[in-house]
Amino acid sequence: MTRRIEQGVERGSRITIFVDGAPVAAFAGETLATALIASGRIAFRRDGRAALRGLFCNMGTCSECFVQTAVPGRAPRRLRACLTPVADGMAIETGAGPDG
Amino acid sequence: MIVIGAGLVGSAAAWHCARAGASVLIAEAGHPNIGASGQNAGSLHFQIERRFLENGERLAEEAARITAISRIAIADWAGLETALGEDLHVRRDGGLMVAETAAEVALLERKVAREQAAGLGTRLLDGDEARRIAPYLAEGIAAAGFLADEGHADPRAVTPAFVRAAERAGATLRTETEAVAIARQGGGFAVTLRHTGREETIRAARLLIAAGAWSPQVAMLANLHLPLFPVALTMNATERVAPLLPHLVQHVGRRLSMKQTHAGNILIGGGWPSRLRRGTGGAFDPALRPEPIETSRTENLRAAAATVPAVADMNLLRSWTGVTAITADQLPLVGEVPRMPGLFVAAGGSAFTLGPTFARLVARQMLEQDRAEADEALAMLSPARFEHLNGFMG
Repeated sequence: MTRRIEQGVERGSRITIFVDGAPVAAFAGETLATALIASGRIAFRRDGRAALRGLFCNMGTCSECFVQTAVPGRAPRRLRACLTPVADGMAIETGAGPDG
Repeated sequence: MIVIGAGLVGSAAAWHCARAGASVLIAEAGHPNIGASGQNAGSLHFQIERRFLENGERLAEEAARITAISRIAIADWAGLETALGEDLHVRRDGGLMVAETAAEVALLERKVAREQAAGLGTRLLDGDEARRIAPYLAEGIAAAGFLADEGHADPRAVTPAFVRAAERAGATLRTETEAVAIARQGGGFAVTLRHTGREETIRAARLLIAAGAWSPQVAMLANLHLPLFPVALTMNATERVAPLLPHLVQHVGRRLSMKQTHAGNILIGGGWPSRLRRGTGGAFDPALRPEPIETSRTENLRAAAATVPAVADMNLLRSWTGVTAITADQLPLVGEVPRMPGLFVAAGGSAFTLGPTFARLVARQMLEQDRAEADEALAMLSPARFEHLNGFMG
């Protein structure tokens, strides 16, 4: 099921990002948070007690939506999914696991 | 006894007085720990503060006298978690005050010499020695003062632990309870407290004003001046990261303090201003959250990244502002007001690091127990030095 508005919307080009190793379709101009939610993923990370966390403020303030970069050979960095535009081939980890 | 203010100093003093058998009431206008006690970033700093060094040699020389109190505070913090029976996340793996330029190194050398003369165990390290202890430091760090006693603790844990200890010892805490009148009565005081619109007057033989930046307003009720001025600061917290920074890190030439919390966040502060807000009467109102100053945040983070380059890759989680108070001569104000025997004050900055000690010593004075010893230790902080301001008051 798509969660994107289909009627009367102009989108950027169709791209692919990788979330926990799985390809996820997205459109240029979307944020990581948008692409994750649109793909049905609401858990973005685990907190210090291993509980699942997700998008909350969607404006860069609360830091609940941190995801980690997954670039081979480079240390992971946390990104605020709500502020980070998607790019073709971008790879991130949520740490959410199968129950996420 | 009545203690006004359930911050770190007030609740700790109430604990000491209550467990010595005194009947103690803590009146807190808001809630415990809502002021500077809970807003600061938790440094346990015993090296001479940068703010004492940036205004010339004479002030630095005078301020060096505070190292006598710092030595007592080092011992007080060592036993605090055991005495309170709580985990306060006290971590004392040492602190480094770093220098980059030749001028900063010279300033650091003079500072360390002063501290050593005063009996503090500060050691002067060159850049490579500092990086052996603290591999996270930038290549540009040319020297550091290292003091093994320094570290940090959790400001969100310390005051609540003192409040609980005070209540266990028999003290009564009244929150949302504001002092609205103070009158001399007999040898003591009649203090009128207001809670949800109802007023009650309570007699006390001794009164302690430990209301932080609000202390001058409380003292006004007794027709006294306290030369305390509110100052608004800026603090920052990064995301949680793997253990990197076991020490307290400060900078002798830049406003900077850094530490890593128990949870893993790096706290970055060091005295960058925010903007105090004025109340309806036009005066600064410490109850209003100060407005952030953008350049304070950026310059603070720039200093942090120049000192510990790894923070440049970290996300800033949040910044916050808070209000503390400083005195006219920068030294805290702790002891009995000569103009009004029985009225004590403990306020005026450095009161996370030194607060448990201020509280213990002012409680000794209030209880008249080992008073001469407490008087001597607090002599340089006594309100007596500003007595001229109260010549026509009281």
